[in-house]
Amino acid sequence: MIPKRLYTYAGWLLRVALIVLFVRDLAPIKPRVHLDLPQTVVTEHPAVCVHTRLTDEVEEWKIQRTLQMVREMGAATIVEYFPWPYAERNRGTYNWTHADRIMRHAANQGLTVIARLDRSPAWARPPIQEKVTTLTYLEEEYFDEFAAFVGAFVNRYSTLYGDQLRGVIIWNEPNLSLEWGGRAPDPEAYTELLRQAYAAAHAANPDITVFGAALAPTTEAEDSSAGMNEIDYLTRMYAAGAAGTFDVLAVHTYGFTQPATTDPDPDVINFRRIELLREVMIAHGDGDTPMTITESGWNDDPRWTNAVRPVQRITYTLAAFQMVEAWPWVDHLCLWIFRQPADHRNRRDMYYSLVSSDFYAKPIYEVIQAYAHDWENPYLP
Amino acid sequence: MRLLKGIYHHLRHLYMWAKLHPRLALALCTILCAIFLIAGWLLTRPGALLGPQDGTWYRSQINKDLYVGLDPNYPPFTEWTPDQIEGIEADIAREIGNRLGVTTSILIMGYDGLYDSLYTGYVDMIIFGLSADPAYEEWVYYSRPYYDAGQILVSRVAAPVDNIRELDGKTVAVELASAGDIAAQRWVRRLHALDIQRHLLPDEAMHAVQLGEADAALVDTVSARLYLADHDDLRLASKTTVANGYVIAMRKANFRLNAEVDQALADMIADGTLDAIIARWL
Repeated sequence: MIPKRLYTYAGWLLRVALIVLFVRDLAPIKPRVHLDLPQTVVTEHPAVCVHTRLTDEVEEWKIQRTLQMVREMGAATIVEYFPWPYAERNRGTYNWTHADRIMRHAANQGLTVIARLDRSPAWARPPIQEKVTTLTYLEEEYFDEFAAFVGAFVNRYSTLYGDQLRGVIIWNEPNLSLEWGGRAPDPEAYTELLRQAYAAAHAANPDITVFGAALAPTTEAEDSSAGMNEIDYLTRMYAAGAAGTFDVLAVHTYGFTQPATTDPDPDVINFRRIELLREVMIAHGDGDTPMTITESGWNDDPRWTNAVRPVQRITYTLAAFQMVEAWPWVDHLCLWIFRQPADHRNRRDMYYSLVSSDFYAKPIYEVIQAYAHDWENPYLP
Repeated sequence: MRLLKGIYHHLRHLYMWAKLHPRLALALCTILCAIFLIAGWLLTRPGALLGPQDGTWYRSQINKDLYVGLDPNYPPFTEWTPDQIEGIEADIAREIGNRLGVTTSILIMGYDGLYDSLYTGYVDMIIFGLSADPAYEEWVYYSRPYYDAGQILVSRVAAPVDNIRELDGKTVAVELASAGDIAAQRWVRRLHALDIQRHLLPDEAMHAVQLGEADAALVDTVSARLYLADHDDLRLASKTTVANGYVIAMRKANFRLNAEVDQALADMIADGTLDAIIARWL
């Protein structure tokens, strides 16, 4: 016979279970992420491109929403950053979870991806007891390991998504000490890194495009501890035999306070500074190699001395797109930065972004969308 | 051996006593445990005898120094002059140093390096139009706000508007594509009708209000204060429509410095020093 007390306990247990179920159901449902039907980008201006920043985005629905908005804007190509340490945290073992997520959604939206690959995992840097190094520090003896990662990346995503992986950018702004492990920039060492990565990428997919790293636009002198003038750096790369080690040269060119049309000047950072790099390429017989602008744009922070007013940002950006379309040697202009995960994370990027962190399309987004579709500009006559 | 025997006898007596008075023993045990826990908590709190110490604060007090990082490219908050770094934030940093009895050394760095400099201990605090970022709160302590750089309504003194809800069915002037424009666009969705009138500059938006072409302008507080300095027929709303509080960032481990800086800011607000600094530049 079942004791009566047991019934009482069971009754209370049932009540508690019901309350737990009820309270749990009060919590907001997590957004469910399903792939759309395969999409294609509609655009009249294929040069329109954006640099997304999904590396730091942990929520999948935000990755999807970002890429949907990129497609809706009319940009057919994105530049995205895939850090080596994220994929190969343990030597010889690849974890592609996050990269897969980004590539899957990009392909689903019909976007072509240019992947920036750089940074060093802890195992490829000296132990901290021996030497304190940064994530951008890579000794020459590990160049082959980085090249192997580049080959693995190209192999995986060329196999999975074919041409939707357009290419890989080898490292980022190596002419800055900050991006070269806190050491003096070394164009010869970088050229060797590029040579090895180029071979590995093409071994994985002969049709892949290997981009020479975009150099930071800077007027630093060659003996500066912070960085090296990118014109001098590229010249030394060619002297070290860089011709033929990249299919396209990636370029970072920012307008700062000047219009897109301002003439280039070695002592000034402006949009047309890219033409100075072009001259170096031509001077070294590499004029047939195209260029892709993988970072560019104007900032409309109301207080930064290198920023412009929002209306200037709009007019300069449109002028830059028109200029690039007239240059046969540049195929894309990718604006920095589409969206950042949290607006307050980086005040400067907040005023470079096209979309707020809560996915509100800023006027500059609408203007570029109108341009890409040949619609009427919603903000300017 | 005799000592061990003595302890054993005492424990045995205690045990016997507890057996005779179980409830009393339980109560005493509970009280003792509570005393131990409270004592442990008190002794291991930051700054207590066995707790972590704020080395930066002690260094600052012994050496009479305070290292502050900023990027001097954001006038009127920070800017280069031929002699030194000036601006609202430079003045606030120096005033905090005065109140802490130390000399403020301003270290100039690029915006990108500010948090890294704080993390590595190169500077004690950074002040640079920062907003509290939850992503950093594991190791960063943010002070109370010293300035609200958000979007504020500017209206005529004769026809004051204090809240954007009052603009339902009316016209708001903004700088085209600015943060004020974006904020107004968001409000269009919440009100029955809000007409947005766009101008190329914030001053032009405020001028439209003066002319009666718009009921209010929604602009950033810096632009608004600079314009209102020469136009006394306009007024600011009592609160920003979109707040953007600027705060000072310090390492959370420097709990004593955090508290002292917060106190200094509170005192500066109370005695009007902060307002005087801001009024000097805006």
